Parts: sequence; C-alpha cells; structure tokens
Amino acid sequence: MFGESTLVFIALGGIFAYSFYAVLVAGQLSLGQAGFAALAAFTSVAVGPSPADVGELPALLIGLLIGVVVGAVSAVVLGLPTIRLRGVFLAIATLAFAEAVRILLVNAEWTGGAQGTSVTKVVTPAIAWLALLLVGYWFWRQGPSRYGRALAAIREDELAARAMGVDVGRHRLSAFVAAGAIAGAYGVLWAYYMRLVAPEDFDFVAAIDGLVTAVVGGSTLFIGPLLGSGFLTMVPEIQREIGVDAGWVRPFLSGLLLLLVILFLPGGLASLIPVRRTAPPATGGDLGSEHERLSTRTHPAAGEPVVEVSGLGKDYGGVHAVRDVDLTLRSGEVVGLIGPNGAGKTTLVNLISGLVPATSGTVRVLGVEPGRTPVHRVAAAGVSRTFQHSKLFPRLSALDNVLVGSHLVSRPTFLRRLLWLPSARRDEQQALQHAARCLARVGLGERASVPAAALSYGDQRRLEIARALAADPSLLILDEPAAGMNHVEATGLSELIGSLAAGGLTILLIEHNVGMVLRTCHRIVVLNFGEVIAAGGPQEVVKDPAVVAAYLGGSAGEGPDLPGPAAAARPEGPTAEGEQP
Amino acid sequence: MNRSLTALAAGSAAALLLSACGSDGDSSAESGGSLVGEGTGEDCVIEDPVPIGAALSLTGGAASYGESQQRGLELAAGHLSENEGVSYDLTIEDDGTDPRQGITVFEQFVEDGASIIIGPTLSNTAFQAQPIAQEAGVPVLGISNTASGITEQGDYVFRVSLTEQQVIPQTVQQATEAYGLEQVVVMYSNDDAFTESGYEVFAQSLEEEGVEVLDTLTFSTSDTDFRALLTEARNAEPDAIVVSALIEAAIPLVTQARELGIEVPIIGGNGFNNPQLMADAGEAAEGVVVGAAWNSASDNPANADFLSAYEEEYGSQPDQFAAQAYAGMTVIDHAVRAGCSGERDAIQTELGNVSEVETVLGTLSINENRDAEHEAVVQVVEDGQFTVLD
Repeated sequence: MFGESTLVFIALGGIFAYSFYAVLVAGQLSLGQAGFAALAAFTSVAVGPSPADVGELPALLIGLLIGVVVGAVSAVVLGLPTIRLRGVFLAIATLAFAEAVRILLVNAEWTGGAQGTSVTKVVTPAIAWLALLLVGYWFWRQGPSRYGRALAAIREDELAARAMGVDVGRHRLSAFVAAGAIAGAYGVLWAYYMRLVAPEDFDFVAAIDGLVTAVVGGSTLFIGPLLGSGFLTMVPEIQREIGVDAGWVRPFLSGLLLLLVILFLPGGLASLIPVRRTAPPATGGDLGSEHERLSTRTHPAAGEPVVEVSGLGKDYGGVHAVRDVDLTLRSGEVVGLIGPNGAGKTTLVNLISGLVPATSGTVRVLGVEPGRTPVHRVAAAGVSRTFQHSKLFPRLSALDNVLVGSHLVSRPTFLRRLLWLPSARRDEQQALQHAARCLARVGLGERASVPAAALSYGDQRRLEIARALAADPSLLILDEPAAGMNHVEATGLSELIGSLAAGGLTILLIEHNVGMVLRTCHRIVVLNFGEVIAAGGPQEVVKDPAVVAAYLGGSAGEGPDLPGPAAAARPEGPTAEGEQP
Repeated sequence: MNRSLTALAAGSAAALLLSACGSDGDSSAESGGSLVGEGTGEDCVIEDPVPIGAALSLTGGAASYGESQQRGLELAAGHLSENEGVSYDLTIEDDGTDPRQGITVFEQFVEDGASIIIGPTLSNTAFQAQPIAQEAGVPVLGISNTASGITEQGDYVFRVSLTEQQVIPQTVQQATEAYGLEQVVVMYSNDDAFTESGYEVFAQSLEEEGVEVLDTLTFSTSDTDFRALLTEARNAEPDAIVVSALIEAAIPLVTQARELGIEVPIIGGNGFNNPQLMADAGEAAEGVVVGAAWNSASDNPANADFLSAYEEEYGSQPDQFAAQAYAGMTVIDHAVRAGCSGERDAIQTELGNVSEVETVLGTLSINENRDAEHEAVVQVVEDGQFTVLD
C-alpha cells in the first residue's frame, strides 16, 4: 500500500497542489499550472544535461532550476495580461493557456508529440519528499508574514486591501509567479520519475486534479495541499487493499468520498487541525519605546494643507454626484461632512481617497493626486479610511485585520522568516504590539483572536477604525463610523475621535449623527445634491438657513434647534436608499 | 558457555526472521518447488496456480478497451483452467487510465509475487510502468501496445500485439493494389500516442508505395464533428482517405464522410478493427478497409471457438482487444507448459522460445526482439461483416 510509487505520488501531488494553493491564498482561481508544468518539464528535458553525462543528481538539480525558471517566466508572461481578471474569468483565461500549451507541445517536433519524450528515472521517494517539504516550508513561513497577510487580505476584500496600502497587482502577480515556479518544479520532478513525459500528463484533467487536491486539503492552512494529496492518492490504494472490485465502483466511491469531504469540511481536511490564532502579545513592558521601531511617517506640521480640493466634480451618467466642490483640510483639523442621504458625501471621500477618478477639477492630498495615483499609493501617502459599509477581512481575526492595516508601517518579513533571522521575529513582534495597541485603543483588546465576521456590528465599526489607525495615517477618513451604534457606543466613539484629534491627527468625518459631529468637529461642511451649501464652525452651520432647508425641506422661517442627538435623529428620515457609491 | 548459548539463540532468531522476511516478499521466487512442475507441454503438472497480474484500464479514458481485454483474459483463463495440470490465478487490476496508478499496480504485482504481468492497455503507460517489472525481473506481456520501442525497454518485456510497422505497410500495399490508389488524403488525431504513431507508419508506407498525399488533416481524439475536415478532404478529390483514429472517432468520421457524399474507400488501422464500427455506422461502414492484427473472419478452429464462446458468454462480438488478450493467455500457457515452470525466469526464457503457437490471432511466434509475428490481415466491410480483402 505504501510502495515506493505511492510515496512519490503523494509528494508530487502535494507539490502540484501547492502551486494551486499559492494563488488560492490570494483568492485567485488559476488553472494554468498544468501549462507551466508542461512547459517546464519538456524544456528541462530538452535543454538540460542528460543524467548519463553529468550524473543523476546534478542533472535533476539543473533540470529543476530550468523548470522553476521556465515556470516562473511563463507565469509572468501569462500574468501580465490576465492578472486583472477575477474569479471565473481568470480560471477560463488560464485554462485556455494550459490548453494552448498542450496543443503546442502535441504538435511540436522536439517534444515527441503525443508519444512524448523518454527521460531517465532519477527521482526517489527521498528526493520527492525533500522537494515537498521545501515547498511546504515556504508556505509555512509565508502564512504569518507581512506578505502572507497581504495575500489573505486581497483574498478577503481586494478594495479594502488596496485602501490599506497593499499593492494588489504586484502581490497577485508575485503569487502567480510562485505558482508558476512550483508548477515548474512539479513538471520536472514528474518527468524524472515517470520515465516518459507526454503532453497528456498535463491536460485539463491534471489541472482539475491539482485544484481539487488543493481545495480538498484546504486552501487556508499550509498543510492543506499535503493532506489533500495524501487523501486522494491513498483512496484508490486503500480500495485496492481492502478488495473493492476493480472497475466503476472505485471511481464512484472516490467521488462519493470527495463529495462528503467537501460537504462536511468546506474548509478542507486542514480544517480538522485546530489552528492556534495569532495571540496578541502580552501588553506591558515599555510600549512607548517599542513604537520607535515601526517606520512611522513624518506627518505634516499643524496648519499645513493636507487636502486641497478645487472645482471637483463627479458625474455618473447624467447624475452629478459631486459638483464644483472646493475644500481645504489643514493638518490637525477635524472636519465634519454632513448632508442628507444622496448628497454625495461618500462620493467625495472616494474621490479624496482615490477610489474613483474625478470628472472635473483637481484633488491634491498629501502630495499625491488621488484618481490619477493608484489607491495603494494614496494610502502610502498617509490616507487611511473606513468604509460606509464595513469592509473588513471577514475570515481573519481582529488582530490580523489590524496587522494588515499596519502593512505600510511594518517591514516585509517573509524572506527573513524563511531564513529564521531573529530580526524578522522582532519585526513581527513589533507589528503585533502595534496592532494590539490599536485594538486596545478602540476597546477591542479582549477580542483580538475573534474572526472579524463574528464580531458585533458596533465592534466591526470600531475594528475598522483600529485597522485604519494601524497605518499611522496623516489623514483619517471615517465614513459614518457611528452608523448602527447605540447612544453609549456613539459617545465612546466621539471621545475616541476627540482623543485622536488631540494627538494632532487630521480627520474627515462623515456622520449622520449631527450631535456627534457638532461635539467633535472644528469645522463642518454641508453637502446637498453634490454641492457645498454651507461651511464653517459648528454653530454657524447649524444656523445657516440653507442647511435647515436642506434638512427639513422647503424654507423654514427660523433656525432649528439642532444641537442635540434627539434633534439630530430627526432630519435623517426613514430614507431607504443608500448613498451614492 | 552462557554467552555462546545467547549468541546461538540470537543467531537462530535472526535466521528465522530473515527467512520469514524472504518468504514474505517474493514467494514465487523464493519458496521454490511448488511453481516448478513435472513433465512437459500438455503433460506438465504444476502444483500451485501460477499467479498472473494484469494491469488494465477498466475505468477512465481507455475503459472501453480495458473492458474488452478483461473479458478476453477472463474467458481465456476459464478455458485454460479446464485443461489438466496447470492452473492460473489471474488478478486483474484497474489503472484508471492514469499512469500513476499503472506504476503503483505494477509495483503491487511485483511485490505480490506475480509470475508474469500482462501489460497496461495504453502504450504510454507501458513505457512508464514496465521498467518496474524489468528491474525486478518479472516478465511483462503486452497485449495491446503497438508503439515502437515497447519491447526495447528490457529483456523481460514481450508482446503479442503486432506493431503498426507490421500491419500498416501491408494494408497500404494491398489497398493500393486493389483500388489502384494514386492520390490520398490522410487524417489522424495527433494528440494520442497510438493514432499518432499509426499515422507515422501510414505516411512512410504511402511514400514507399508511391502514393501521393494530397493533404494531411489532424483532429483531436475528443472531436466528434469532422464535416469541415471531410469537406476539405472531398474537395481534394482523393482516391481514398487514410485515417489513423480510435474507434470513437472512426464511427462519426465514417458516417459523416458518407453523408457528405464521399464514396471513395476509407482506410483505417488497428483502431478500426472493432465490430462497433458496423453496429454504429451501419450502411456507412460499407467499403471501409481495415488493416488489423486479428482476422475476425478467420475460420481457424481456435478463432471459431473463441468467437462462439465469447458471444455465448457476453452476448456480443469480440473486438481485436479481446482477441489479443485471449491470445496473450494462450501464449503464456504455452510458455509455462514448455518449461513446466511458473517461475519468473523460466517464463521469460520460454516466452523467448515461443514459435508457431496456434492462437486466435493465427500461428504466432515471438522473434528475437520479443515482438510477436503472425499474419496481419487486411479486411473490408461487406454486408456488415469484415471480410478479407483480395
């Protein structure tokens, strides 16, 4: 049952599954790995030295090197045009690539066509398992590194990852290249074990096999592909061993088992393994001095302009969501942005944080031009935000969410983690402490290891603020942070914002809770139908007839007595429609 | 004294252990005696059943061939067990048309002490799995592998299936004579090892016969619509269309060709040698020329018995895969009885000496390259039957 070949096939299947795992952790569904493996296998056999000339092991190592390079390079070539594709579109594009490669190899002279090429057998179980362990080690070290967390963030919510300063395109491409390199290694190992390598070994079925192995094993824990391969390789062996009749019954039973695993273990076999979530470091010790180690940015001096908006407009078709807005935010200011539903508040902050490009006018924020600059660069310049509808990374723990938030201020640790450099551990510890502090600051210190999706609504809003704070921003944009909070929570939030402002942070606050805005903000800007209808100190704005008219409808003769939460609730009205995107 | 006793005890324990291990692994090779019989030929008597392993593709892409082979082998094993003296313990395993499982099954057979392994259904799997038996000194007998180089892998590898080299040149030669071919169009599926190597031999033979190839069209094994290619072929106005394809492609190809009004002969290889062709293509199959390793219409007594027994057992006509599997068992039985031994090396030696054995495929010999030699046949479909082309 555990013959030589079974051992080798568990290892090879595991390596191939890792090439799928490499992109699944970043939320990409690619089927191109079979193509990478095929190109790598045939190229290394054709170009590499023969084992008869240089000895078996050197030939294999050179072959592996060639295979890894060919796999990685073809992943770059395929990745550059396709990396923008998502979900099933990426799967189809990469599948088309794999199929094109197979057709190419079938028709090429140098590959031996459908009859394939003979190769000397070099790979032994020890070599195969060594290769598997190396690849597994890679992903074990990758998981809890800054790079690994960024990939998980992209998988969970790409837009939020961008807003946290993760360069999504580059991360997706590097995950894709890792997949190509590992698939290349698999192709070479396969060739040097099977004695004959034929294009049919890397067909559609092979690609699906690899994907199924990775998914059955579990695509969120590094051990998953190994478990999946062990399971899928052993199922036919065990059936043979216990004497299930050869024939259709076996694939039927295999299929049934697969179905059961997927039904009852949606997270794959790896979900049977209890996961120790990253625990926050014991707070205590001198947190202040630790803080020095994180690469904090230099914030603009108080009073310097942070946001300069002039003549800004945004049209959606015929709808003017934002019209001719002029706005300046200076460092250290807390500015409230209010207005009825549909007034264009969220569109305005999306323009400022670079999520949508402007139709007219200019925005300058901290030296960059959002809309013309990728979102992650805007974030890197010091803009951090929360979203009107929470955009947390639902399956990551609260602590991990905040760790992703600290992406921009922590140092990359993956490569150093591979080598077990002590500095990587130190950096990780600092990032953890930083994150724990941010969590504690919003009052979530106790809930660090809870997945974000399991938090209450109010806690989710606060977690989003903690995540935004972790980036050590120069400008913090809070889009309706108090929505759905009760009176007590809102008061707490108000105090938090006040303390942040006291620390010199520039804050742009969108809020329906007018009382809270009046309490917290130095200055208030009122939008209606995309236009600024009033701006100034809290007391001026409340008395402005245009504001009163906008909130109450029609032309009210006298100023309303807004300053109070009870009154603030009134203007909001039972509007069901959401904000403009 | 005490020490020497301990040493003795330890020594005998170790010896026991070693012998236990030894008899565990390759029982056939080590236990000795029981697989070696007395007498020779029909009088040979071997005490234990001779273990035979067969690695066939019973599921997956090649399952239809594997199933035919399984029937052929089981029918043959049943018939052979009626003879006195030697019995066979036939184990048929499925490789799922997956080379990985093919290798694993071969390893298992070697470990379980099979005296001979009947080779995998597909040539590519054979290339990948056979070396395991070769290295362990277990003879392999291919029953359907037609690619060249199969038996070059080692001196334990034999086959009863004729190569394309042995069948196709004769087909091309006889068809050229019968129909006066001058110009043909060649079609083949280029993503399958079997049909591709068949094409190569076709191309070579056509050149040798001086037949001009107007066009070479390729398709995929999974294709079912050949109308575009056939229209192209028809427009070239050939004297015949030469096709290297598996039966799954052959049936729609022949049907669609006749639909498009192509009346010239269609010449196929081993893949066409299947009663399914007439059953499914019906009228359209008329006039299809099939070069094959097995003459299903042959009235040699072995074949006549086989046809009726197969029909009785399974209720359908056998195809070439079943016939070759049946012949494989006949040849193994001959080799075992010739040396009156079911041991691996004895079988290997005697397979090399197989000469003029009567099988369902005709009188069969194994040459010095360990390939089979017997008469190939060129058949043409007439009235829904394969008949010998003359």
